[in-house]
Amino acid sequence: MISITLAIFMCSVVMLSLALLATRGSSVQRELAFRTDLPLYDESSGDPSLCPPEFAARIFSPVDSTFVTAENSRELVRLFQHERRVVALVWVHQTKTAIHRIMREHTRVTRQSADLNLLTEAKLLSHFVQLLAICDLLILAIQTAGAARVGALATYAASLSQSFADAQHALAITNAARDLRGASTAH
Amino acid sequence: MTTAKLVTVQAAYEDFLQRSLSKLSCDFARLIYLASTRDYNTGSYHHDGLASRFSPEVAATALEMVHRQVFLQLSACSLEELVEQLRIYFDSSHDGAGEILRMWQKLEPYRIAIPVEVNPAVARLFLSNVRLALAIWRSRQDQSLRGR
Repeated sequence: MISITLAIFMCSVVMLSLALLATRGSSVQRELAFRTDLPLYDESSGDPSLCPPEFAARIFSPVDSTFVTAENSRELVRLFQHERRVVALVWVHQTKTAIHRIMREHTRVTRQSADLNLLTEAKLLSHFVQLLAICDLLILAIQTAGAARVGALATYAASLSQSFADAQHALAITNAARDLRGASTAH
Repeated sequence: MTTAKLVTVQAAYEDFLQRSLSKLSCDFARLIYLASTRDYNTGSYHHDGLASRFSPEVAATALEMVHRQVFLQLSACSLEELVEQLRIYFDSSHDGAGEILRMWQKLEPYRIAIPVEVNPAVARLFLSNVRLALAIWRSRQDQSLRGR
């Protein structure tokens, strides 16, 4: 059986890790706002959708890295790594913001819904939490290993966020259709 | 947008591709040309020929569509393909490639080639890739000068 001291220790480690990830996330945001040419993804202006998956694949593709390495210039490789890291961080930040927006929209819709499917809601919530954790992990991985080395995780995050957005969209349509049916039978 | 208007925009779009864009050497030249049809102050597109054949409104919508499409095509290119696009663009220009390269690295005029309301990560990828492609060209030029 786990002793209370060990349980407290493990909880502290988890809490500290989460705090570190959160701090890291906001410092990345500040850094990006300072270093990127375009304003950061903002919900009040700009495209509120997720970045199309083919572009996510391009950002994290190792093909460009191989091409730049073949040019035999250390400055070019350094410039490439820096540029790709910033683009990759912009992508993660945008994905995270879009996921939050989708979840907020979903919460707004479910508040007005009369009958909720708890299993579907739990599944969506677990996707949401999983995606946020992956995004935070990606931020750390991009900063330490570079964009080209985290392609598989980024592709997974891109497809998961797309299915999350699709699921929320499908649910919103189902709820709207049910509300319409309810309104028409009431008349 | 009504179906009739959609059909007209599609016709204007195809007309523009056939009459104007197909004559340009590469997608990069097409992008720069399309960006030049956009008003800096208002962001609206103008093309006299297209507007006279259709209407200014239809022409503007078609131009915006083509601009977005060409931009997305170029943004999805690999770095190697983009370097090749730049080579064709520089070769087709009357000015020397070295001079264009110097000015492009200094002034970054390609920044205004991005359509309005584009996905921020895609826009950032495009800017970053053009900057890298220019740096690759510069590096190749320097290496060939050192080799002489």
